[in-house]
Amino acid sequence: MSHVNTVAFTIVVVSFLAVTVIGFAAARWHPAEDPMHLNEWGLGGRGFGTFVSWFLLGGDLYTAYTFIAVPALVYAVGAAGFYALSYTILVWPIVFIFAPRLWSAARARGYVTPAEFARGRYGSQGLGLAVALTGILATMPYIALQLVGIESVLTVMGVGGSSGNAFVKDLPLIIAFIVLAAYTYLAGLRAPALIAFVKDALIYVTVIVAIIYIPARLGGWGHIFGAASEHLKTVNPTTGKPFGSLIVTPSGEWAYASLALGSALALFMYPHAATGVFAARERKVIRRNVAMLPAYSLVLGLIALFGYMARATPAVNAGVKAHGGNSQLSVPLLFEHMFPSWFAGIGYSAIIIGALVPAAIMSIAAANLFTRSIYNEFFNPDATPAQETRVARLASLVMKVGALGFALELNKTFSINLQLLGGIWILQTFPAIVIGLYTSWFHRFALITGWASGMVYGTVQAYRTPGGGQAHFGASTAPVFGHVIYIAIAAFAVNLVVAVVLTPLFRALRLPNGYDETQLSQPSADPADGSAATTGTQVP
Amino acid sequence: MAQSAPTGKRPVTRVAITVLLLVAIGGTLVVPIYARSMPKLGDFPFFYWYQLILVPAVAVLCWLCSVLLRAEPTAAARPADDGEMRK
Repeated sequence: MSHVNTVAFTIVVVSFLAVTVIGFAAARWHPAEDPMHLNEWGLGGRGFGTFVSWFLLGGDLYTAYTFIAVPALVYAVGAAGFYALSYTILVWPIVFIFAPRLWSAARARGYVTPAEFARGRYGSQGLGLAVALTGILATMPYIALQLVGIESVLTVMGVGGSSGNAFVKDLPLIIAFIVLAAYTYLAGLRAPALIAFVKDALIYVTVIVAIIYIPARLGGWGHIFGAASEHLKTVNPTTGKPFGSLIVTPSGEWAYASLALGSALALFMYPHAATGVFAARERKVIRRNVAMLPAYSLVLGLIALFGYMARATPAVNAGVKAHGGNSQLSVPLLFEHMFPSWFAGIGYSAIIIGALVPAAIMSIAAANLFTRSIYNEFFNPDATPAQETRVARLASLVMKVGALGFALELNKTFSINLQLLGGIWILQTFPAIVIGLYTSWFHRFALITGWASGMVYGTVQAYRTPGGGQAHFGASTAPVFGHVIYIAIAAFAVNLVVAVVLTPLFRALRLPNGYDETQLSQPSADPADGSAATTGTQVP
Repeated sequence: MAQSAPTGKRPVTRVAITVLLLVAIGGTLVVPIYARSMPKLGDFPFFYWYQLILVPAVAVLCWLCSVLLRAEPTAAARPADDGEMRK
């Protein structure tokens, strides 16, 4: 630890301590009469209004990994990395269409997770299990990647990364995660909901200052785009092609659009996104938020531009090279070289706290999935709310320890590969959840077979894709029918085709339909506003 | 996404909402619209400023849709939809 930036490090420690106090205090924020209920621990009492939901969803969906990885991608390949902006624009009209309906269905039956909806809609334990397992499987590496985000900041600060001793090296991460696990265990969703305020304030301040201050120091946007364009035009010696382009090329348009669409469709299939939706107090809270959450997309777009700023800063290029060409360090390095130490500390805190909020929500969401769709469904159908809450708390600890193990034991590439797979996998639950909101035409066995086909196809296709110096899992896009597209979209198409073809076949074979407990297909029971619903105390 | 607009609303509202949402989705998804560098806005190539401006534009479109839904007599008649804290 020879080159620790003391000022920046002190600011990071102070903000971490402040957030820790808030996390523990959150247990007393609008305390519930009975805190030992999954609606309380796992969904913050299902009472978040427009304001809190905005911070919660924003803090939840725009993760630290995004803040590191998106500019890193732009830094490396240019315009193609901007699909992340398209994706976060596209996601809101799509969410506008189905999320209010999903919220109502969940509120009406007291569901805490989307897997319960799939199970209830089709009367199929298997389908519920498939959705729950996919969610847990996709979430674990996602949590691990939040740690990768923290790690890149710590490396640049000179904390841990250079030490030879593995334990000392990882100590800051381990401490941060133990503290996070403790207050999440205690306060449930209320903790990340409150901390999200701090996270977002820090992110907005950092981004607004950076977007005004850094270009002025670098000699204006003309210079920044010029430097980026010059780099992107140079030929990459390993591939023999240019590194990238400043504008998406015609051959890259399919990949760009399908990555944006696939990611947008998949985002709200992730358990942590659904948790943010289900925690809303009323249906209109979601609609209002859809119109307000793009504020974060704008921030993401500006953060993506950090990639070009980093490219136009020679010291950052040198630093990335010195760390073995790890472009994930470009944003922390940009802060280090452009800001005075104290403000770099604010920026680092924003990224670190930006990792803690989603990590907490993801572990809670995965714990909810395990509790309702595995523990309740297969082991203890008569569990009391208190038992459920105890199981969920433990499950959230297990998720975090698992993610920590992922981040520390397995190499980083493995986590990133798994996260790439997670995006492909999670989209395969779309038919069971979203299409299920509109029609019960699909046969439950057809949906399960479709899901399995999409999972297998996507995994095999990703395995067979080389790239970036790797023989397997090298890219999230692959050529299908003459166009290079996002593998998740291709797998999704396979999934849908199988489900559509098998449904009439299974009906003809007279395989029984499941009992639809949601009653969504009866117009009188359309839970347009959830007013006819009980507020979800009973377990279906 | 044929059934994009929520059911049980007036046809005019449904059509309007469907169109607004399709514009929002299409403006993002049809990449050739914006995969070009001209015209520039300041030093920003079209590709960048188009997408950055698209963000608030889509927000406004979604906001219009939610206003349209709220203005629906059927929706307004539902007390719970406008009610505050409900337990």
